[in-house]
Amino acid sequence: MKRLFYTLIAILVLIPLNSCHDQVEWDNDPYGNFDALWSILDEHYCFFAYKDVDWQAVKAKYRCQIHDDITNRELFDLCSDMLKELQDGHTNLISTFDVSRYWIWEQYPINYDERLIDEYYLNFNYRRASGIKYQILGNNFAYMYYGDFASGIGDGNLDIILNNLAASDGLIIDVRNNGGGYLTNVETFVGRFIDERIYAGSIQHKTGTGHNDFSEPYDYYFEPAHGRVHYNKPIVVLANRGSFSATNNFVSIMKSLPNVTIVGDVTGGGCGLPFTSELPNGWSIRFSAAPITGPDGKLTEFGVEPDVKVDMTQEDIASGKDTILETAFEILKHERINN
Amino acid sequence: MTARKVYTWVLFFMLLVAWNTNCAVAQDLEQEKPLRPVAHMFSAQYGHSTVLDSYLSPLKYGGHAIAINYEAQQATGFNPEKWTRQLRLGVDYDYTHNPAGNHTMHALMVDASWGMMHRWKDILTPGLQFQLGGETQFRGGAVYNAYNSNNVVSARIHWNVGLLGQAVYNMHIKRLPITLRYQAILPVAGAFFAPDYDEAYYEIYLGNHSNLAHFGWWGNRFDLDHTISADLHLGSTILRIGYRNRINSSWINNINTRDIAHYLVIGIGGEFLNVGAKNKSKLNNNTISSIYP
Repeated sequence: MKRLFYTLIAILVLIPLNSCHDQVEWDNDPYGNFDALWSILDEHYCFFAYKDVDWQAVKAKYRCQIHDDITNRELFDLCSDMLKELQDGHTNLISTFDVSRYWIWEQYPINYDERLIDEYYLNFNYRRASGIKYQILGNNFAYMYYGDFASGIGDGNLDIILNNLAASDGLIIDVRNNGGGYLTNVETFVGRFIDERIYAGSIQHKTGTGHNDFSEPYDYYFEPAHGRVHYNKPIVVLANRGSFSATNNFVSIMKSLPNVTIVGDVTGGGCGLPFTSELPNGWSIRFSAAPITGPDGKLTEFGVEPDVKVDMTQEDIASGKDTILETAFEILKHERINN
Repeated sequence: MTARKVYTWVLFFMLLVAWNTNCAVAQDLEQEKPLRPVAHMFSAQYGHSTVLDSYLSPLKYGGHAIAINYEAQQATGFNPEKWTRQLRLGVDYDYTHNPAGNHTMHALMVDASWGMMHRWKDILTPGLQFQLGGETQFRGGAVYNAYNSNNVVSARIHWNVGLLGQAVYNMHIKRLPITLRYQAILPVAGAFFAPDYDEAYYEIYLGNHSNLAHFGWWGNRFDLDHTISADLHLGSTILRIGYRNRINSSWINNINTRDIAHYLVIGIGGEFLNVGAKNKSKLNNNTISSIYP
């Protein structure tokens, strides 16, 4: 009995010692917060090799600029500059007073004017459901604008929308300035434009802290929306640099479909599934953690090339025309004549 | 919660209590067998917890810990002097904040356990007994960090077998019977769920279910739940006051989880024996309690 008692005591004392698994902790001071930010990205960010970023060199470049009297604002700006080395729209430092960003569409033509479309093409007369603005235009081409993949798409709403647009000769899906949202909405949406299972791409994740510690790519597929209303006529997808993240994923998948043409500008990219972490001072850091390829097996971190590259011209805008939308009309007219 | 749901839960607990009690009744109807009352205890617990889940954040969160627990213990039908069985059901909720105080993390877990213990009575001194045995436990729930993006939640699912033991000392302070008890639950091995290092739940949703289930042992997780309590016998009612410490930790796929909670325990219960009027005479039979004198 005594032996059993002492054995139990030994187990209770020794086992917790075995459970001491280290979790790095940082001080809540400028150096600690900088080190936390650098380390979190060092261990979790997924595009170091793809973008050929020497993260150690980046640390050496920026850490030496910290000093004891640095203000929060200065530290934030310094960290933001460091993050811009990653050229990643999914990587943001979030504080109570600012959000750092690397949004490449700020460097390119806007290529979208909502007011122009509402006024000159829709005549302010359109329907709206599930965050989708839709109408059949005078030339009998259907137009739908989906501005946010975070807006939930209801199957019932999609049935109604596509039933309303069924009599058209072609469909224009405008996802310009759609900054992304839920990938599950991409699956729901694409399911209405396919009749058979399609290869949608692959996803990987990091398996460890090393820059090249990745799982094998996991191929994933989209199924057609069985028992639901589909649209099988020619489709043109309008994109611009503001078509980012989930929208970038949507465009890359739609581009692989035989009856779809992508028109406009290169998309904004953002093919890394973002995770979020935080620093001791309460700032949050969002970053790309899991790379997703398109159906062509390629990463689209820097965007999807359109089939027809076209920018809106100032002359067209001045005369109430959307150059990209007009190009879509020409493509659909060509399809209508040929079919 | 609708009235219907409340009714369903109340009914569930009533059936649970009735089942435990009737188990005793059915077997106690035989004259020669001893009566085996069921010791029921409902407790509410409140305290402080720290929650670390490096899948969600590298920082340790701290805050309020709330739990409710039901426990039923009874001497077994076979060799009731030597063996007892115990059923526990519980819900733990942790409401915690990061060190800067601007993010909130919620952890909600449910657990159910069943175990049997051998007991040694009057060890070292009269009134002191030790019970030691094994149990199986299911524990599941999730930790939710509302501020995160695709790593917004961390599921915790764990089944294990382990050691269950208690030291019980029945004594009196003046005329008040008191039962002092220390109970420890130490899972030894089992299976648990854990995603890969930076594997998104979206990838799991897409169908990649590989390497999600892991064999759990002291090399990748450690859990300990122990309580020290004093049960005050106030007539047929028993009032429990105690302290509970819960440790749940794992380290696998470079993901560390470590939850530590300290609770003040307040409970109410009693020993119940459901004997019909015509069997009241059997109350004079030998009665064997699982922990009380």
